Amino acid sequence: MKLLVAGVSHKTAPVEVRERLAFAENSLPLVLRDLTSRQGISEALVLSTCNRVEIVVAADDAVDPVATVSSFLQESRGVATGALGPSLYQHEGREAIHHLFRVASSLDSMVVGEPQILGQLKQAYAHAKANDCLTGLLETIVSRAFNVAKRVRSETGIGQMAVSVSYAAVELARKIFGTLAGRTVMIVGSGKMSELAARHLRRSGASHIFVTNRTYERAQELATVFQGTPVEYTRFPAMLPEVDIVITSSGAPHYVLTRDEMQRVIVARRNKPMFVIDIAVPRNVEPTVNEIDNIFLYDIDDLQEVVNANLRDRNKEAERAEALVIQEVEHMMARLKVQEVAPTIVSLQGQLEQIRAGEIERVRRKLGPLTPDQEEAIEALTRGIINKIAHGPISELRKQAGRPDGVHVIDAIRQVFHLKD
Amino acid sequence: MAEMSIVWLRVAAGLYSLGLIDSILTITQRRAHLFRIAIGALALAGVFHLVSIVEQGTAIGQFPASGFYESMSLCAFLITALFLVVYWRYRLESLGVFIFPLVFIMTLVASMGRPVQASWSSTVRDAWLIVHVVLVLLGYAALLFTAVAAVLYLVQERELKRKKPRSFYHRLPPLGTLDDLITKFMSWGFVFITVAVVVGSVWAFVEFGTRWVTDPKIAISLFTWGIYLAMVFLRVSAGWRGRKAAVMAITALGCSALTWVAHAQLQSLWLR
Repeated sequence: MKLLVAGVSHKTAPVEVRERLAFAENSLPLVLRDLTSRQGISEALVLSTCNRVEIVVAADDAVDPVATVSSFLQESRGVATGALGPSLYQHEGREAIHHLFRVASSLDSMVVGEPQILGQLKQAYAHAKANDCLTGLLETIVSRAFNVAKRVRSETGIGQMAVSVSYAAVELARKIFGTLAGRTVMIVGSGKMSELAARHLRRSGASHIFVTNRTYERAQELATVFQGTPVEYTRFPAMLPEVDIVITSSGAPHYVLTRDEMQRVIVARRNKPMFVIDIAVPRNVEPTVNEIDNIFLYDIDDLQEVVNANLRDRNKEAERAEALVIQEVEHMMARLKVQEVAPTIVSLQGQLEQIRAGEIERVRRKLGPLTPDQEEAIEALTRGIINKIAHGPISELRKQAGRPDGVHVIDAIRQVFHLKD
Repeated sequence: MAEMSIVWLRVAAGLYSLGLIDSILTITQRRAHLFRIAIGALALAGVFHLVSIVEQGTAIGQFPASGFYESMSLCAFLITALFLVVYWRYRLESLGVFIFPLVFIMTLVASMGRPVQASWSSTVRDAWLIVHVVLVLLGYAALLFTAVAAVLYLVQERELKRKKPRSFYHRLPPLGTLDDLITKFMSWGFVFITVAVVVGSVWAFVEFGTRWVTDPKIAISLFTWGIYLAMVFLRVSAGWRGRKAAVMAITALGCSALTWVAHAQLQSLWLR
């Protein structure tokens, strides 16, 4: 059985190339059936996302899957694989398994550790499964890939840390408040980043969002987006004691919130903690506000710094994840090899049993009917002999199964015992 | 102290205990349930307390402020009176959390100014002492948790203020969770310690008459309880949270450790 992964990804090909190869989701049943109808192709899986297009097939040993997939691409996409040059990668056997495991674990993703790819792979798996295109080897490998991804997630910190500024803000809010349920948010001014952060906060459970802006109409507009409450610009400082999280991104050229003012706010809040996110440039909040107890002020650079630190950590975790994936690939290879030698073991045992049965029959004809005691003795004797003979080669087969040069030993054993396929 | 004076003082202490219950409920449930009753009881107790002081004054024929018990009683009365005035003028309910337990404990101690002829079997005596010890240990355990949570809080707070997350940052629980833990453990610890102080005082009083108050260990215990009371008050009423509260919790643990060391030698007193 041969395994092939052929495809292009954001690492090897620009979007102009990827889009030419991409498959629409509703065309997948047809595509999968086309693939498996080709000679020698027993299983197939197609993963098509905006960052990668990959075709995975399992083929009989007799056929060349590379040629088959090439002609498939030529026919269905009108793309000659030769024209793709280095954009197209083709991994076979062990490399193919390694690649699949890495993709599932999000080690090959644009942002390492982002989990969307696992969902997309699961979808591809579901399509292939629904069209009866996953029945053996490939099915085993892909479902193992899901387990590997899960292991990587739980045993390394690869997906734990936020790697975008707006997510970093949400993560910090969680670190300060614990749960965000019931927390209130005030957005001062408007801007893409503050909207994004507010959206994330809202999704994480923040109960209410107030929006204020120098132009009240703009505040009203934004408030409708979040089902929040617009607040007049002159009134918002008075409401601050009620607010847990403040996001400022107004275009004001001076500080909108000063240290003295925030000191008053925190007293009015009876020291309940407050998280102030200042995304504006120039800054809206006096930097020394961070020195007030129970107020945590982060400006855009602070958030970026958190993101950078998280990315560095992620890359460190990715190294651990790579090691883990390699370990899993070795496991998988060993398992497949054992599966490979299983038929040899069975036929070896069959061969010996056949000899034994034949010999007993011959002896019986010579000696005539035997007593049950004698029958039992002969049975035990012959069985003992063949088990002892088989023991050596069987354990050798099992041992050689996981090794790269084991194939020669396995072949030798097959020849010695005259085993047929 | 004069006999009748002590009787009135004990009645007052009984009434003050309602205030203590109100405080405990406020601290543990974060709601004032009994405040109206407690303030009424406090006013009534104040009257009995005054009667007791006047009685004592007449009995000894001079202003009753000499000696430990008399001054303690007078001081407790003055605090009560002052609180009633402040309450009447400013309606400062939250101050009650602090005043009620303080007045009760002071009056309780003062009402022990005259030894009783108690005859209790050694079983009751030992059981009583075990209750005291168990309560104290529960209180210390709660305080220890408070202090551990407080240390974690301080570390996490520093990480968040420094804005450069290190590995600690990811492992420690959120500040909000830690703050909740501190509040809960501190409240329950306070309840245990307070009841333990009451039980312990009664035990020592019955056992040693009026002598026990001069023991420095007792003084340290009462001092530690006072610190605990101040901490609980500052948190519940004045809204001390975060870094200050965490530092305070660690201080309280330090004081308790001191008390515990002092009491490790209590055995000598006990075996006598």
